[in-house]
Amino acid sequence: MKIIAVATKDLIRFTRSLFLIGMVLVVPLLLTGLIYFAFGSMAGGGTSMIAIKVGVVNHDALPAESPLDAPLGTSIHDMFFDESVKSWIAAGDYADEPAARAALNAQEIGVAVIIPKTFSEDYLAGKTGTVITILQDPTLTIGPTVVRDMVTALLDGVAGGGIANKVIGERLAANGQNFEAALIPAVFEQYAAWYADFQRALFHTPEKAALVVISPAGSGEAAKPMQGMMGLVFAGQLIFFSFFTGAYAMNSILQESEEGTLARMFTTPTNRTAILSGKFLAVFFIVMIQGVVLIAAGRILFGIHWGQPVSVMLSLAGQMTASVGLAVLLVSFIKTSKQAGFVFGGALTMLGMLSGLFSTNINMPAAFAALGNFTPQGWVLKAWKLTLASQPAGEILLPFIVLVAMGLVMFIIGANMFRKRFA
Amino acid sequence: MIRIFDLATKDLLQIVRDKRSLVFLIAMPIVFTLFMGFAYRGDGAEEPIDARIALGWVNEDGDGALSTQLYDLLSNSDSVKLVVLSADSVEESLRKGDVAGVLVVPAGYSQAMTASPLRLTLVADLNSTNGQSLFQLLRAPLTQLASSVEIARLGAETVGKAGDVTELDAAFAAAAQAWTEVDSAALIHVEMAVAEEAGSWYGDNPYNQASPGILVMFAILGLVSSAQILVSERKLRTLQRMITTSLRPWQIVGGHLLAMFAIVFFQIVLLVIFGQLLLGVDYARQPLAILMISIAFGLWIASMGLLIGTIAKDDTQVVLASLMAMFLFSAMGGTWFPIETTSGAFAAISKAMPSAWAMNGYQNILIRGLGVGSAWQPIAILLAFALGFFALAVWRFRRMELV
Repeated sequence: MKIIAVATKDLIRFTRSLFLIGMVLVVPLLLTGLIYFAFGSMAGGGTSMIAIKVGVVNHDALPAESPLDAPLGTSIHDMFFDESVKSWIAAGDYADEPAARAALNAQEIGVAVIIPKTFSEDYLAGKTGTVITILQDPTLTIGPTVVRDMVTALLDGVAGGGIANKVIGERLAANGQNFEAALIPAVFEQYAAWYADFQRALFHTPEKAALVVISPAGSGEAAKPMQGMMGLVFAGQLIFFSFFTGAYAMNSILQESEEGTLARMFTTPTNRTAILSGKFLAVFFIVMIQGVVLIAAGRILFGIHWGQPVSVMLSLAGQMTASVGLAVLLVSFIKTSKQAGFVFGGALTMLGMLSGLFSTNINMPAAFAALGNFTPQGWVLKAWKLTLASQPAGEILLPFIVLVAMGLVMFIIGANMFRKRFA
Repeated sequence: MIRIFDLATKDLLQIVRDKRSLVFLIAMPIVFTLFMGFAYRGDGAEEPIDARIALGWVNEDGDGALSTQLYDLLSNSDSVKLVVLSADSVEESLRKGDVAGVLVVPAGYSQAMTASPLRLTLVADLNSTNGQSLFQLLRAPLTQLASSVEIARLGAETVGKAGDVTELDAAFAAAAQAWTEVDSAALIHVEMAVAEEAGSWYGDNPYNQASPGILVMFAILGLVSSAQILVSERKLRTLQRMITTSLRPWQIVGGHLLAMFAIVFFQIVLLVIFGQLLLGVDYARQPLAILMISIAFGLWIASMGLLIGTIAKDDTQVVLASLMAMFLFSAMGGTWFPIETTSGAFAAISKAMPSAWAMNGYQNILIRGLGVGSAWQPIAILLAFALGFFALAVWRFRRMELV
């Protein structure tokens, strides 16, 4: 009962700390909220991403006798001004390359497409030296890649039309038939219609697409990358702030020691083990409450699917054990509460970094990724990744066992140091 | 004026004596810069490594013409490395990370020439960047394959042998062979729009992005130390005692602001020198522009620190407010992720963030290779924000005196 009383007292004290409430709940929700605001609208399948600003310089002209109705440059130009891309491409015409470069430098556009005068002529003649130049703002990555892929896809379409013509001509000849010139436009048109439908289906109509993507654990359901990303980001926040909360809450032992109230408690009939156990229990509860609240908030506010309930419980339990254990160990090394800022801010941030909490969506080098095997945060992240991937409880057992073991070892070492200090 | 310097010196000495401050001001930003640059560069191995993404291959179509052709296309790819798997090893291989995705070719796939449309399944973890890349990388080979099938059908129809397997096979083979001679990517030349050529731009040196990003982020956090001094003075009643002296209120505000600016500016200079000498970030190509951007940015941070110092009631509130300011301005300023990847609303709001303008100023010099002229707009906006925050801080300070 004394242990519960001490724990209750500490819990009440924690809830009166605006700083703790801020760090425990507000800051992780704020951070995830910012990420959700940045990317979350795309999680629901919306395409509200900022429009790519493209400048087009088209000097392409058809040679005197050409099988094409219009220069290839016109097709490329028109592609960027088409109604179907208006929501994500904002295109404008520029007279020449210097004008486009000036617009790029002034950040009026992010990408410029420069189509030279003899592009169609040289293309039809089979010459490869004439190229379309894509000038890009060097700080951008997605926009220029999208533009390059669009131009490549269009050129592939043109190439396919040429191949269709060639192959049909060969097959007619092989079958002893003549290839009428009048056939050429019809072949181009049929092929072009098929090609446009194919590309549209590939990117916009999964039920007709030639390639459908499913997640590994999904039973045929389509994968939702943005939701997955939000889950990982939030898991990273949950883990980081769970360890921070544990350490900060445990700091109350040092604060009470400095204020003199701990010494007074030791003079009471309540034995020291009970007092310290009460304090550890309070930290355990605060970390648990934080975890439960944030998981619920993640589900309600950001639509994160945490996975199977038992897996979630195992991951949360492992996280709590490890964070309390590390908190006890860290604070046992600290002499005064003033040192706590350095230890919590510096050590926990470093551990978080090495564990990959701040790079959940970045492809880290293998050597770096292996570092997470040596940190409790790394194992917690493993557990949550498996949980978010809807893996069954059996898959979470190994990380859970490792976390409990790590937590217990750290707890025992830290508790022994406290016992010696307050003996 | 002397009194302002005296007060600023007093503040600086207090900060420097606290070792924890030095950790946050110097060590952590350096460590984070190295980390972020390392994360985006990889392990930096000099020797060429196989950078292809491992793609599992499960073929239930046997030696069908289409699956064989697709296998050949993917085997010759520079971007994916095929790993042949059995159907029951798919989940295990993905879970272990042996492959980033698995392409499953269903039984009867090659009969699509005469029957139903082609359809393949890619099992991939789209939470990983490799998994996301696989879909894009498969587009071209799949398009070529499907195109060859469509051309075969068109050819068979044209010669009056629609559905004839021999004719279809012959046309398909001819089309597939013709596709091997097509290289549309070779007709496109991508060029960075930089004002002048330099040894390494963003593509070569990831620290060009990481260094200014971490600099902006930690400069905001750096105001914790200086804002805490103002709070301590108020709590210990030192501030009230100072007011009773011949020091004018504007001198007190000026002294504290100067100290905050000095700390932030010192940190910026240190990180710039670190980036220049050790990370290969060419801040020195436009030293005047970098200096002016840094001064304007430092003034804004100092003003914000002053405001936080006048609002917060104790140290923990300073830390909390500073952290929230750091997170908010960093995220919305483009220091964590490029603004181009965000939603339209987020991108629009980020244009109003002073941190975004600071990043813009540094990127203009470091990545876009522009000159001093490109720095004027970011500087003007940062100074405007500095003035705004300063005005708010002074207003708060005057109200504080009366308490």
